[in-house]
Amino acid sequence: MSLEELAFLGLAVIALVTGLAALLVRELVHTIMWIAVFFVDLAAIYFLLEAPFLGVLQLGVYAGAVTVLLLFGIMTTRKRIFSREAVTGIGPAPLALALVTFLFVISAIGEFSQSEQPIRSYDPTYLSANLFGPNGPWLLLLGLIMLASVSGAIYLVREGRE
Amino acid sequence: MTALALTGFLALSAALLAIGIFGILTRRNFILILIAIEIGMNAAILNFVYFAAFSGATSGLTGQSIAVVLVGFAATEVAVGLAIVLALNRLKGTIDVAQATDLKL
Repeated sequence: MSLEELAFLGLAVIALVTGLAALLVRELVHTIMWIAVFFVDLAAIYFLLEAPFLGVLQLGVYAGAVTVLLLFGIMTTRKRIFSREAVTGIGPAPLALALVTFLFVISAIGEFSQSEQPIRSYDPTYLSANLFGPNGPWLLLLGLIMLASVSGAIYLVREGRE
Repeated sequence: MTALALTGFLALSAALLAIGIFGILTRRNFILILIAIEIGMNAAILNFVYFAAFSGATSGLTGQSIAVVLVGFAATEVAVGLAIVLALNRLKGTIDVAQATDLKL
């Protein structure tokens, strides 16, 4: 087993464990800590896949901004930040649906080759040329949607709205 | 040069999507549901990055570009979601989604 395969296996196990732990622990603050580890782990997978720009973006946006935003959400909606979440019984239906989804998606994997392929690496310069060239409309759309959502968010949390 | 098989990566994102769906269905706290949606969304973004890494020259760059745009969309979604959380908390005093029944007939 090569070093890259070993690294991928380790990162995949960490992603699955932290993702599940984030949803199953009882204290919300611990959830945020697990999800931060999850996001950093995904950034490491991006670096493994020779996508350093996306890795840095993942660290900045997800591990940085989204984590802090979620933490602020918890701080402003709770009297005591370390209060526990009521545990609801996990019925068989959600587990079954999640399992069916997994099996459905994984059934399509046979279409792809099982053999090892080299991973392409791209210069971030070409990525930015592609991002602002042929994919420019998407970037513009992202800006418009962000503007609209920020206005919507401010409207939602505005004081004294009747 | 790094060489890996695509199938392991695809299995990982299938499992992450299943974890996200499981979280959305079982949790009742709005913030936990948001986190579960983020896990599912990250599984989708990972897929774009895999196919970018394992495909031809220009289509690979397109895959990474779409992933960059999707990361922006996901951050926007969290911002709007947290605004809804704050509004729900002010109206109901709780962020349990089972209490948000104002639109029920």
